[in-house]
Amino acid sequence: MTCAPGKPCWEGFKRRRALGLLGLMFLIFVGLSIASFLPSRGQVVPIDVEYAGYSAVRGKRIFQAYNCMGCHTIVGNGAYFGPDLTKLYNKVGPAWIEAFLPSAGGWPASGAVMVKLLDEEIAAEAGARTIDEYLSLYPGAAERINRRGSKPTMMPNLPLSRDEIGHLIAFLKYTSEMNTEGWPPEPRGDDAALALAGLAGGGGQQAAIAPPPGFPTDDPSLPPVERGANLVKMYGCVACHALDGTKLVGPGWGGLHGSEVKLADGSTITADEAYLSRSIMEPDVHLVEGFPPGSMPAFGTILKPDQVSSIVAYISSLGGN
Amino acid sequence: MIRIEYQTQRLSMRFFILMAVLFLLQTGFGLLLAAQHLDPTLLAGTLNFNVVRAEHTNLAILWVLSGFIGTILFVGPLLSNRELAAPWLIKFLFYALVGVTLWNMGTQALAQKGVAGWFMGQPMLQEGLEYLEAGRIADVVILIGFAILCYVVIRTFPPISKWNEIHWGLGLGVTALTAMWVFGLFFVERLDLQEYFRWYVVHYWVEGVWEVIHISLVGFMVVLMFNADIKAVGFAVFWGVVLVWLSGLLGNAHHYFWVGTPEFWQFWGSLFSALEPLPLIFCFWHIYLDSNLDRKPIANMPAFAFLLGSVVMEQVGAGILGFSMTFALSNAWSHGTWITMAHGHMALFGTFGMLSLAAAYYAVPIMRGVGVNFDQRLGKLAFWLTFTGMLGMVFAFAIGGTVQVYVYRVLQRDWFGGDIAPAMMFAKALAPIFGVVFLAGVGLIAYDLLTIGHRGEPRTSATDLETLTRPRGEWSLPLSGWEAGVWLLGMWIFGAIITIGLFSFNLSTVHKGDPTIPYIMGGVGYTGLLLVTVLFVLRFLRSLEARERGGVVAALAPHAPSEPPSAAPTVDDGVPVGAEA
Repeated sequence: MTCAPGKPCWEGFKRRRALGLLGLMFLIFVGLSIASFLPSRGQVVPIDVEYAGYSAVRGKRIFQAYNCMGCHTIVGNGAYFGPDLTKLYNKVGPAWIEAFLPSAGGWPASGAVMVKLLDEEIAAEAGARTIDEYLSLYPGAAERINRRGSKPTMMPNLPLSRDEIGHLIAFLKYTSEMNTEGWPPEPRGDDAALALAGLAGGGGQQAAIAPPPGFPTDDPSLPPVERGANLVKMYGCVACHALDGTKLVGPGWGGLHGSEVKLADGSTITADEAYLSRSIMEPDVHLVEGFPPGSMPAFGTILKPDQVSSIVAYISSLGGN
Repeated sequence: MIRIEYQTQRLSMRFFILMAVLFLLQTGFGLLLAAQHLDPTLLAGTLNFNVVRAEHTNLAILWVLSGFIGTILFVGPLLSNRELAAPWLIKFLFYALVGVTLWNMGTQALAQKGVAGWFMGQPMLQEGLEYLEAGRIADVVILIGFAILCYVVIRTFPPISKWNEIHWGLGLGVTALTAMWVFGLFFVERLDLQEYFRWYVVHYWVEGVWEVIHISLVGFMVVLMFNADIKAVGFAVFWGVVLVWLSGLLGNAHHYFWVGTPEFWQFWGSLFSALEPLPLIFCFWHIYLDSNLDRKPIANMPAFAFLLGSVVMEQVGAGILGFSMTFALSNAWSHGTWITMAHGHMALFGTFGMLSLAAAYYAVPIMRGVGVNFDQRLGKLAFWLTFTGMLGMVFAFAIGGTVQVYVYRVLQRDWFGGDIAPAMMFAKALAPIFGVVFLAGVGLIAYDLLTIGHRGEPRTSATDLETLTRPRGEWSLPLSGWEAGVWLLGMWIFGAIITIGLFSFNLSTVHKGDPTIPYIMGGVGYTGLLLVTVLFVLRFLRSLEARERGGVVAALAPHAPSEPPSAAPTVDDGVPVGAEA
């Protein structure tokens, strides 16, 4: 492959021969490419995938608009800063993603997922009505709730609208239905052996559903403020509400009690006990200005009245009039 | 060559300066990414990780392109024995490049608000696809810029019947550069089809187009620096291009293993991309041969150091690290982890970045009228800072990646904040340490390139004289072909250990919770490979510097002792190198 100076080396002939060989390889490449996208391959296409009326194609546009690939990976390509999202939908189910995305800065607790399951469409998509059914169907959700619930994430809160979240979940449903030739690799290890090595985390389904020791439970015998604090932790309220006056997804709680709040219809109202209780049970009735309707689930069907009043007592303890 | 021969060569200066500025900016963003890895709340909500990362990758592409354009403009007249065609278009190209860079840096921040600027189904402002984050408006401007570059190159070159192999390499390179960009100009609904076309741009750019431009430019730099025969070098360039394209065309299949395309790609990708190191070894061997054509000292040591760094890092970063993860059985584990990042950083900066820096260190002093008579110590120090800084970062990424594969893929932990990041903390902390070393080198490069020729005459310092009189050690002996071959073999032995280490993630013992085998093989393989690489470059450069000293000592005798070493009158000057064409 060397050419001595002054000797003929037939570059033109060799170049044409190399280009001929390249042409042959090009034909192989084109053939393989056509075979890859024939309908007979049976690969799922986004136009066929819907989630609760939302479109996977629009979800892909939103996925690109927020440059999700700039932190996560999808089919393994992206930035390796966050987890791969290809099979996320299969692992955690739609209700968990619904609970997570509005306030991505905090991991949702079980209450937030429970609330999402009250939505008929989400429950139908998930194939589960109760939280126990859901967690046994989606062990990834169980692991997330029990190990991470109410803790902060590495992800910033994003200004996602209700519709954007729906479309994104449709896109993630599509990717999880894709045939990616067995990637990412399935677990091959023996859970028991890993557990012995002290390495298994949330491997076994049953173990994962049981809340870890020290996780707060609802104890009616506690004084209302302490009971409220536990409930707030259980239901992951602080994913959206700051304990000081900061506005996250929802208004901050510090100094809220007794203050004058301006409603979306232009009127003002005093945030007394009655108002706070109503806002927990039916948030959209007296919506505060600047917050879109539907961002907070109605807790009226989940919490008992005495639980609501405990939470209100806890909020009042955070300062205010 | 000591002074420019064609006035339009000076048009390359602005592109080299832009390159240095963008490079510094890009490295700054990189260090910010490393800091955000350590503390994810850093600037969260203000400048999110994905925005910083988009700036980092896009600026990397833009500064390398700026350097390529500068180099092509500098060598174009020499290759053609005439002035560049359409200088006003080149000036326009420069302002378009500055404009599109600023525009794109601004629009990337819109990802935080989820604004892509959808219009007629296309994301006009930014599109959130790795490496192709630029929106459609910037894409089209860039396409026009490539077309201008194509036009200038083809119009400057002699008629096609008189092309030598370097003309062919560059001509095909810039044409394919433009053609491949078109595949990134469409929104694709299907994820598998989108990834299929995204790799057209990304893979065929780096492994098809950029590598061809790289080989051609390295070839011509060798012609310029060693006064090598252009026909002989051209023939090597021809073989390099043949090997790159024949392995790379089907080698693209290694990107189609897991993106939703059928299983048969695993066969084609594993087979052909395993051949992709061949042109890189070939190029590596040629830099050895050509730098030993004569025993004359190297006149411009920084330029040669970066050229050598480019060829060596290409061989190690693209060749060996790429080879280790190109098989479906190893790629199943390395895919989507920091192991990819180790390969990407070393291959992109090493191969293309260092070539642009070599060309800048060659061309800028000539254009400033100092030829090779400038203080070369800064450039040499900058080379060692960027070279070792990059190797250190690659080490951190590779070790972090090995741990990540085990915790994330084998143990199936997917809590990045709670499980993955703590396990990778050693690597995450190591990366910015070497990042600071690298940044220091980049700052030095920017300062040096901006001020060469404006700093006044270099002086021979006491340390220089000390070096001059220091006896030569064994490391300064001439490097024989046999020894260079042993170094190369050493690199590939450690490369084989890395590859087998990645394969060993398939072992059942690993899946039973014992990562000893892949950890040890990764630890030995990466450490060994990077150490051999540093030592080889040290050995290579010292053998050449010993030549320089010999030349200088001889040259100093009849001259005043204050004569600067780099001013040694042993340069291949005055030969119109392009004239042989």
